[in-house]
Amino acid sequence: MNHPESCIQCGTCVTVCPVEMVGGHAIVSFLADPDATDYSVWLCTSCWRCQEACPGEVDIYGLMMEQRRAVSLQAPTGYRAAFESVLACGLALEVPQGELDQVRAAWGLEPVRLPPPGLARALLCADE
Amino acid sequence: MPEYEAATRAVLRALGIELEIVQEAVCCGSPVVESFTAGWVYLAAYNLALVERMGHGTVVTVCGGCTNTLTRAARALQDPDVRAEANRRLEPLGLSVTGQVEVKHLVRLLAGREEELRTRIIRPLSLHVALTNPCQVFRPGDVMGSDDSGDDPMEPQSLRRLVELTGAEVVEYGGEDECCGATLYLADPSLALAAGRRKLEAVQGADLLLHGCGNCQLLLRRFQRLIIRDEPGLRKQALLLPQLVGLAMGLPEEELGLREGTWR
Repeated sequence: MNHPESCIQCGTCVTVCPVEMVGGHAIVSFLADPDATDYSVWLCTSCWRCQEACPGEVDIYGLMMEQRRAVSLQAPTGYRAAFESVLACGLALEVPQGELDQVRAAWGLEPVRLPPPGLARALLCADE
Repeated sequence: MPEYEAATRAVLRALGIELEIVQEAVCCGSPVVESFTAGWVYLAAYNLALVERMGHGTVVTVCGGCTNTLTRAARALQDPDVRAEANRRLEPLGLSVTGQVEVKHLVRLLAGREEELRTRIIRPLSLHVALTNPCQVFRPGDVMGSDDSGDDPMEPQSLRRLVELTGAEVVEYGGEDECCGATLYLADPSLALAAGRRKLEAVQGADLLLHGCGNCQLLLRRFQRLIIRDEPGLRKQALLLPQLVGLAMGLPEEELGLREGTWR
């Protein structure tokens, strides 16, 4: 993995970042201080534009995800809720089986069985 | 998003491809699970293992996030240590994974059948379309670019060619390769809506928005009323790729998740 030391401060990442375009700062504050436990690290939309454009081939996405994991206690509620939901039922947004069956039937789609509860937790937390 | 699946199935069925659903699949984890644990790859490996158990060599995806996560997981599983750990976790479930499954997003599946598709267009559309490329389908190029489309990861042309195939005209607005911003909603809803608004303002010369990812459609169609609350004039119809293609193939609007006559 390429580390932020490969960053030559050219600013290309910022010019292609969709978050920067609407006034958020997903990258700038992060590259300036990779250890910052800054909320901005959660603004990245995972569009990979910065990484693709980076002349230093810095693994910005990988670094961003590492940093999120390091500060996960400060995750925004939306992220936290989606993750807890995945752990509990395997889906980022819980849909009861009955409701799913109804919607799919109305659309003429074949039935889908939801994953067993707790399966995602078991896969993700195998060592805990 | 049942209309996305319905329209995808309708178009692929017309091309002789029947899809089989992956039962008991979990959320791919993009980008939520990866944000909390480096073990995200094992969750994606479970989905790939289900596909392998079905005996299929390809899994078709319609969302950029799933495409990206499953492809990167399949790549990670080529490392024997990662694969061994994945199989250790999957073993109690009676599953195993090799990571040899090909992950194919609908855009790429259709782009690979351009000539066949061309012969099936019986009702060319006279529409002006503003498209947004699904980010995670094409980037990072060193992982996602491994097909023969020759797409530039920063400016892919596959979706544009498919839209042009329908007879529709692609309107240039400069934001074709800019992320819709839907994922921002998890962290900062007002910034997500600002990103959506930026796009809506830029595409006013088009008849409709065209998406190849559920997240784009979520923000720019389902949440559009939140974006344009104070400026209803920005309202814009938004279709998913298989809906547009299906219309040009003369498939019934109902099968494409478009209420007859009301979508225009």
